[in-house]
Amino acid sequence: MSDGTKPASDELPSSDELRDRSRTALQSQQQPTVTVLSSLIAVQDALHYIPDEAIEETATHMKSTINDVWSVASFYTNFRFTPPGDHTIDVCWGPSCHLNGAQNVMRRVHTELGVEEEGETADGKLTLRYSTCLGACALAPVIAVDHHMKGRMSPDSAAAVVDELKGA
Amino acid sequence: MADDTIKLTVDGQEIEAKPGQTIIQAAQDADVYIPYLCYFPGMKPYGACRMCVVSTEAGGRKGIQASCTTPVAPDMIVETNTEEVADLRRGITDLLMTEHPHGCLTCHRAELCGPQDICQRHVGVTDRCTICPKNERCELKDTVRFMKLDMTSSLNYHRRDLPIHTDDPFYDRDYNLCIVCARCVRACDEVRGDTALSLVSRSGVALVGTSHGTSLLESGCEFCGSCIDACPTGALTERNYKWEKASSRVKTVCANCPVGCEFVMDVNDRNKIVRVSGDLSGEAGHGQACFKGKFGYDYPNHVRRLKYPMVRIDGELQRTTWEVALEAASQGLSQQLPEERGVILSPRGTNEDHYVGQKFARTVLGTNNVDTGLNRSAELLATLAETPGHGTATNPIWGIEQSNCVVVVAGNPTEEQNVLAVPVKKAVRAGASLIVIDPRETELTRYASIWLRPRPGTEITLLGGMARVILDEALENKDFVRDRLDGVDEFKKAIWSFDLMRVSQITGVSEDEIRTAARIYGNGSPASLLHGTDGIVAEDHSDLLAAVMNLALMTGNIGSDGGGVYPLFWGANTQGGNDVGATPNLLPGYRSISSDSHREEMSSATGGTYPRRPGVSVREMAGDGGIKALVVLADGWNPDAAAITSGGLVNPGFLVVSDVFMSDTASRADVVFPAATYAEVSGTITNLERRVQKINPALELRHEEREGWRTLAGLANVMGGSGFEYGSSSEVFEEIRRVVPDYAGLTHARLEGRGIQTPVPDEASRGTEILFVAGESENRLSVVPMAIREPISRRNGEYPFTLGHGRVLMRPEEDIRIVQDERNMNHVERDTWIEIHPEDAADLGVVAGDRVTITAQADGSASPLPETGLIRMSSPHRGFVSVTTLFAEVVTGIQDSDGIDTSPSVRGLPLRQVSLAKAPVLREAGMAAD
Repeated sequence: MSDGTKPASDELPSSDELRDRSRTALQSQQQPTVTVLSSLIAVQDALHYIPDEAIEETATHMKSTINDVWSVASFYTNFRFTPPGDHTIDVCWGPSCHLNGAQNVMRRVHTELGVEEEGETADGKLTLRYSTCLGACALAPVIAVDHHMKGRMSPDSAAAVVDELKGA
Repeated sequence: MADDTIKLTVDGQEIEAKPGQTIIQAAQDADVYIPYLCYFPGMKPYGACRMCVVSTEAGGRKGIQASCTTPVAPDMIVETNTEEVADLRRGITDLLMTEHPHGCLTCHRAELCGPQDICQRHVGVTDRCTICPKNERCELKDTVRFMKLDMTSSLNYHRRDLPIHTDDPFYDRDYNLCIVCARCVRACDEVRGDTALSLVSRSGVALVGTSHGTSLLESGCEFCGSCIDACPTGALTERNYKWEKASSRVKTVCANCPVGCEFVMDVNDRNKIVRVSGDLSGEAGHGQACFKGKFGYDYPNHVRRLKYPMVRIDGELQRTTWEVALEAASQGLSQQLPEERGVILSPRGTNEDHYVGQKFARTVLGTNNVDTGLNRSAELLATLAETPGHGTATNPIWGIEQSNCVVVVAGNPTEEQNVLAVPVKKAVRAGASLIVIDPRETELTRYASIWLRPRPGTEITLLGGMARVILDEALENKDFVRDRLDGVDEFKKAIWSFDLMRVSQITGVSEDEIRTAARIYGNGSPASLLHGTDGIVAEDHSDLLAAVMNLALMTGNIGSDGGGVYPLFWGANTQGGNDVGATPNLLPGYRSISSDSHREEMSSATGGTYPRRPGVSVREMAGDGGIKALVVLADGWNPDAAAITSGGLVNPGFLVVSDVFMSDTASRADVVFPAATYAEVSGTITNLERRVQKINPALELRHEEREGWRTLAGLANVMGGSGFEYGSSSEVFEEIRRVVPDYAGLTHARLEGRGIQTPVPDEASRGTEILFVAGESENRLSVVPMAIREPISRRNGEYPFTLGHGRVLMRPEEDIRIVQDERNMNHVERDTWIEIHPEDAADLGVVAGDRVTITAQADGSASPLPETGLIRMSSPHRGFVSVTTLFAEVVTGIQDSDGIDTSPSVRGLPLRQVSLAKAPVLREAGMAAD
C-alpha cells in the first residue's frame, strides 16, 4: 500500500505501534452499538488520523473487509488518512470573509506556509484547512488556530500568526 | 391453495405476476422490455440509475416509478414507453453519458465504422466503441440505442483519465468506462459475500475500487468473475481473448468440480473457446462460477493437444493409427490376469464414459478394479449407500440458503466446490450460524460463529461429543426420532461413553466450545451439514460419515427444506460415477457385487458376465495395489495434486492412457489415445446434488480425438467384448436408464436446457429435490452406535509435527506487500507465520518471532510449503502446527504457470508430517532475499 503521501516527520510511529494504538482505540469504545463508522471515529480521535493499519484493524474488529471499511472512510471528508501537523490553521472563505478580503489573507498564508493547497507543510508541522464558515461573520475575515478564533485579519496579521506558529 | 397471482396491465397487455415481484421482473417474465442498468437478476433492488422508470397507476394514484424497486400491485396499470417516460429516460441517460465515452453510442453509423475510420464527428480513437473489448456484447450500448438519443448533447463528456489496472491475474479493469451502477460491488458483496470491491469516495467522484486502491490479491478477491459477468460496460473484462468476438454461444456445464455450474461458452470463428460466463438460469450454479471454471477453460484450445494415437516403440512414443493403437492396447491388456488389470476413469468424464468404463472393466477385462480418478473415499460411498440408501447429498445446493445453521466438517468448499460456499455465505449473511470443524484455517472460518479446531483425526470423537450434549440437553427432534428412526436405544447407550471431559481431552477442544456448538446445531433447525474427508485417514471415512449422519438424524435435519447432509466430493462427476457403477464395490444402480442376483440382473440386461471378486479403489490402482496393466482416462486427473499418489502414477507394467495433452501420466504410457475434452462432447454429468445435466459440444474435434466412451468401446470391440456397438452417447444413455433405476425417466432430449435431480423413476417424474421427505414412503432411517476413540498418533520420530496447511482470501491483520514482477504483474509478499503450541516452542528453544525452517516428510503428494516461517504461539494442540497462506498465492501461481490445464493442478490442503528447526539468524538483507 502506498504511504508516499505521509510527511517526512522524524518520529513516525512504526506499523506495529499504529496497529496497537488502533486496536486499543477500537476496543475501548464505550457506546452500546459499535459500527464501522464509530470505530473509525474512535481511531481518528485517538490517532488524529486513520492510517492504513487502522483500516485493516477495523476490518478485523468489525468482521468486515478492508474494502468495506475504506468505502465508509473515504465517504466522509472529516476523516483524514495522513498525520496532521502539530497545529492546524483554518482559513475561512465564507461569503462574509470573502467580501472582507479573505482571498488576500489566504494568499499570504499560502506564501508564509510554502503551500499551494490545503494540507500539511513540507515539514509536516502545520496543517492548513479551508473552511466554508467558521461562524464568526462579524469578525470577518477570520482564521482559527487550533480551533481558537482570530478575527479581523489582514494579510500582515495573518502572516504574524503563522510566524508565531512556526516558531512554536 | 389459493391463487395468489397478481394481475396487472403492462402496455395494454394483461399479465400475471407473483406477489413480491417488482414491475421489471414481472414485465421481463412477460417478455416486455424495460431498459435498465443497475438492476441485475438475482440482486436486491437498488434503484440507482433510474433508467427503468415507468408510469404507473394503482389504487387511483398515478406516478412515475422506478420499476426495479416498485412491487407489483393488483390491477396496476403500467405504461413502459409513454412520451413522458421516454423523455425522462433520455434526460437521465444524457447525464449518465457525461461519464462514459459516447460518441459512438448515439451515432447511427456505429455498426458501419471500423476502428481506424475517419470520423466526421471527431470522436477520438480511444473513445470509440469499436476499440472497446465489450463492443459486441455491451449492455450500455444496447440500452442507449433503445432510447434513441440525440447525437448532440449540451453536456460535455469528462474523461476520467485513470490508469487501467492490468496487473492483477485474469482481470482487466478500466474505470474510465465505469458508469458506477455498482453491479460489480453488489455481485461481490450481496451475491458472493466477499466484498473485495466497494464504492469509494462520494458524490461526483465516487467510483468502484478497493481499499486504498490496492491489488485484488490483497483485497480478498476469490477471482470468481461474478463482477465481470455483471458489468454492463467495458470496465471489467477477462484479459484472455479480450477482444475476441463470439460467433456462437453454447450452453453447457462446467466439469471442474461436483457443483456443475451451468455455463455459456463463447466460441469464435476459429473454433476456440474465448469466454465462459455463468448461466443465470442455471439451477445448480445460479449464474455463478469460480476461478477454475471462469478462467480455466483454455486448455481445449491449446496447440499442444494430443492429436493422434501413439504407441511406445523402442522406448519412444510414436504416432500411429487408431487400429494399431487399439490392437497394441488390447494385446498388452490380454497378457495379464483379470485381477491384475484395472481402469481409472477421468474425473471430468461423463456418465456415458463412466458407464462404458465399468462395463468394459467388468465384462471384458473381468475385474471390478474400476474407479473414477478423484473418488477419494469409496468407503464413504459404501456406507452412504447402506445407511440412508443413497450415496449422495440429500438436498439441493441452494437449499443451504434456507438453513438456520450450517456445519462444515473437514472440507474446504471455497476452493474445492467453490459455488457450494456461496449459499453458505448467503445463509450466514441472512443470520444463520456457521460451525466450522477443522484443524486448518479455511476461508469459511472467517464467517463462522464458532470454529472448533480439533486435534487432527479426532473429528469423529468431537461429533460424538456434540451428539452427547444434544441428548443430555434434550435438543434432539423427538418427533423425528420417534417416527423415523431405528436403532435409537443402542445409539443412546453407546453415546454415554462420550464423557465430555474425556472428549475434550482427546480433541483438545474445550467442553464449553463443544457445548456451544452442539446447542447452536441442536437449536438451529433446519440445519445443513457439509462433510469432507480432508485430513481424515481412509479407514475412518465411514465412521466419520456415521457420526455426521447420527447428528443430522437425531436432530431431524434430513428431508426438509434447508435441513440436509452434503458430502463434499472432489471429482466433477464422482456422483455420476457412483450412480452408474464406476466404483470397485458397486454395480450400476447401487447393486452389490457380492449379490449373485444383482450380478445376474446386470448380465441379463447388458450381456457379459460380471465378476464377483471385489475390486480395488483408485488409490490402490494408482499406488501399489498389485495391478500390472492399467487403462487411465486422464483428462483433469492430477493424482499428485489430489493426494492420491505421490510422485505421479507409476507405470504398472503396461499402461494405456487417454489424455488431452502429454501430461505427466500420459508421458509414462505404452499406448496413448487422444481424448476429447468436456467442451467437445455430448453427454451427461451428475453433480453433487444428484442433478443430471447435459453437456453440449462447443468445439468441433480437429483431429483424431475421441470421447472416453468411444475409446473404451473401441477397445472392448477389439478385445472381443459384446454389447459395445454404440453409435452415439445418447445410445449409451439409453442403456444407462435401463439398468440404473434412478435414471429411468431421463433421456438426453429431456435434459436439454435443464438438469433434473435423480431419482427420476419414470418419464412422468419431475425429479427429486429432497430425499427422505417425511411420509413419502416407508423410509425409516437408522442411527448407528459409535465408540469414543483415542487419537491416532501421527507422530513420527523424524517428523514430529502434524502441519495443517490453511488458506484464506485475506488477512487484514497482517502486513502484506504487493510487489510487481518483471512483467508488471502483482504478487504478494508476506511473512509466513507458523502457529505452534507454547510447550512445543519451549522444547524447540524458540520464542515468538523466531524464524524456523520447515522440512516436510517426503510424501510427494502435498502442497508446496514455505521453507521458513516466523513463530507465533497460538497452536491449540501439542504436536500440531499450522501455516495459513493466501489464496492470492494460488492465483498468481496459475498466472505464472506454463501448464496447459491448470485447474486440476491446484493443490488441496492435506495435513503433513513435518519437522521444525530454528533457523540460523540472518541479517536483515538476507531475510528480505528469501
